[in-house]
Amino acid sequence: MSWYQMHRAVYDWVRVGEVNSDASAGEDPRASFDVSVYELSPEERKAFDNKDIAAFYQLGLHEVLINRYARACGFSREDYRRRLEPLAVKNERKGRWQK
Amino acid sequence: MAEIVLAYASSHAPMMSSQREAATEEQRKNFFGALDFLKEQATERGVQAVVVLSNEHYTNFFLENFPQYCIGLGEKNWGPTEEWLPIDKVWIPGHAGLANHIAQYTLNNGFDPAFSHLLELDHGIMTVYYELDNGMKLPLVPIVQNCAVPPLVPVRRAYEFGKALGDAIRSYDGLERVAVVGAGGLSHWIGNPRVGDINEEFDNWFLGVLESGDLEQVLDMPNEEIELAGNGNHEMRSWLAVAGAVAPTAPKATKLAYEAVYPWITGMAVAYWETQDKGAAADVPAMDDAGRRDASMA
Repeated sequence: MSWYQMHRAVYDWVRVGEVNSDASAGEDPRASFDVSVYELSPEERKAFDNKDIAAFYQLGLHEVLINRYARACGFSREDYRRRLEPLAVKNERKGRWQK
Repeated sequence: MAEIVLAYASSHAPMMSSQREAATEEQRKNFFGALDFLKEQATERGVQAVVVLSNEHYTNFFLENFPQYCIGLGEKNWGPTEEWLPIDKVWIPGHAGLANHIAQYTLNNGFDPAFSHLLELDHGIMTVYYELDNGMKLPLVPIVQNCAVPPLVPVRRAYEFGKALGDAIRSYDGLERVAVVGAGGLSHWIGNPRVGDINEEFDNWFLGVLESGDLEQVLDMPNEEIELAGNGNHEMRSWLAVAGAVAPTAPKATKLAYEAVYPWITGMAVAYWETQDKGAAADVPAMDDAGRRDASMA
């Protein structure tokens, strides 16, 4: 696994559509994004090609990036929650505010 | 010397701009009513510049170099960066004098903030700043802090940074009236299986702590416990920084609004700290029977 490269690829893909973005310009700069320059593992490349946020979650992609990536992919929050819910781990710990 | 004439914190869910109507009318009235009240106060008190603290969401920094704090020193900054956020993309005036003073003061007093002469401002700052000044002309000193990428500044350290920030502002002689705003929180989850959940019990407890002024209840909270109210709850650091900034004059906050807005996936709150001696507490809108404050009554 190439943790940094995975983060870099997703971050760059998200950012290329944001930096100095202008919705009226028409062309989607993400369409010509070249992911091959990143040293991704086969699992990471597969997740990228398939826009598989559940796989990215399991591979350890930072959750802030997952959120931005999902939004940039056009997934609704309900949709991406549905994809991630099977991966939830129950936490029994209580906070100090809980009676 | 400058005085902090207005201090508050507000949630900054981007949907407050992009999906405003998804909240109920009552929720919008309460949440935006509180922000409208504060905007009116900013006008009445003649705020000359605002310092806004918010979270860095991988907008300006990435894993090569991720500062815990970065102060925007530039004469102007750009925002909002998100193409979908329905706020005009503009150059927002900075205040280089105040920003440089804050940077030097905090460097002289035990902190090592990074600095930037050009920040991109995302929803974290822009949503709240826009509600303060729709024209986006009020000089803005942005401070982005790391509330997302471990290792994170301990909560107490965030509060202490706020104290240094407040002292810095009060020792600046280039302005007279400054506002300090914290943006982010309260409970929310993003990018994980619990996205969409809100921990109302935590939110109400946290707001109660701020109102009591007994911040020791929260300043030792470890990251694992913070995350029981969501990974987005790390943004409580912005709220506590504001509390620190005004601690000498306003140890207790006043809750202006709290709404668990599920379509915005966030516990949306507004609280402020009264820093003025003029009996301005009388300006706070009264609570109705449901425990809500209607800022339109102000």
